[in-house]
Amino acid sequence: MGDEVNCREASRLLSVAYERRLTAGELGELQSHLDKCFMCRNFDSQLKFLHQASQRFRVKN
Amino acid sequence: MPPVAPTTDPRFAEIEGHRPYLLRYALAQLRDAQLAEEAVQECLVAALESLGTFGGKSSLRTWLTSILRFKVIDLQRRAVSERANVPFDEGTEAEDDGWLDDLFDATGHWREPPQAWSNPEAALEQRRFWEAFEKCLDRLPAAGSRVFFKREVLGEDTDAICKDERITPSNCWVILHRARIMLRACLEKNWFGKEATLG
Repeated sequence: MGDEVNCREASRLLSVAYERRLTAGELGELQSHLDKCFMCRNFDSQLKFLHQASQRFRVKN
Repeated sequence: MPPVAPTTDPRFAEIEGHRPYLLRYALAQLRDAQLAEEAVQECLVAALESLGTFGGKSSLRTWLTSILRFKVIDLQRRAVSERANVPFDEGTEAEDDGWLDDLFDATGHWREPPQAWSNPEAALEQRRFWEAFEKCLDRLPAAGSRVFFKREVLGEDTDAICKDERITPSNCWVILHRARIMLRACLEKNWFGKEATLG
């Protein structure tokens, strides 16, 4: 491969990072994609928010 | 002495307010709407009876969930003995990549690029945000809703979820990827977006 990851692949890696540790190769490819893609940076922030909201959801009064 | 009429306790309405969450919890574990209703009903009755013992150390939701957990386990035992296995519903079987083609074009770019949400943390304090959040959870496919709830809300181990759902880890990851993308799109459309409708 060696191809650069696109948004579709980046979104998959950003999601699966919540389930398993990414390999060094995956992390490198993902980071270089995020450096130049604001859309996937937005997506990254949104996943963090979903994670935070879900945890709050569990203990909400 | 007759039991205190539930309606005289102001927390009665508060307890009722947690019903949708509790139902979601029960459904994630039992995968059967009728059994889930039954578990929640038993939980709420038990909660009303022992409301006096709730000291407010944990949140009301946490307390209710701990009661429900036992009701669920009890019903799971009964269900196992009554019928060998509760049949799995649609959607747990292997998923193909078709849904990704709806979200990304042939070159792998977002068809509808995720926007920047302004101050999302503030939403967590708003009651109507949580209504939108629940509505968006409801719009997920059944398996997606269940797996997302167990993984992100309950923080269950992925291995345990896979075992419960009888799916492979990679299948589980696909289900979660899809659920997360659908949820973020739903929240963007209905809460954070410029033309939000659910809020």
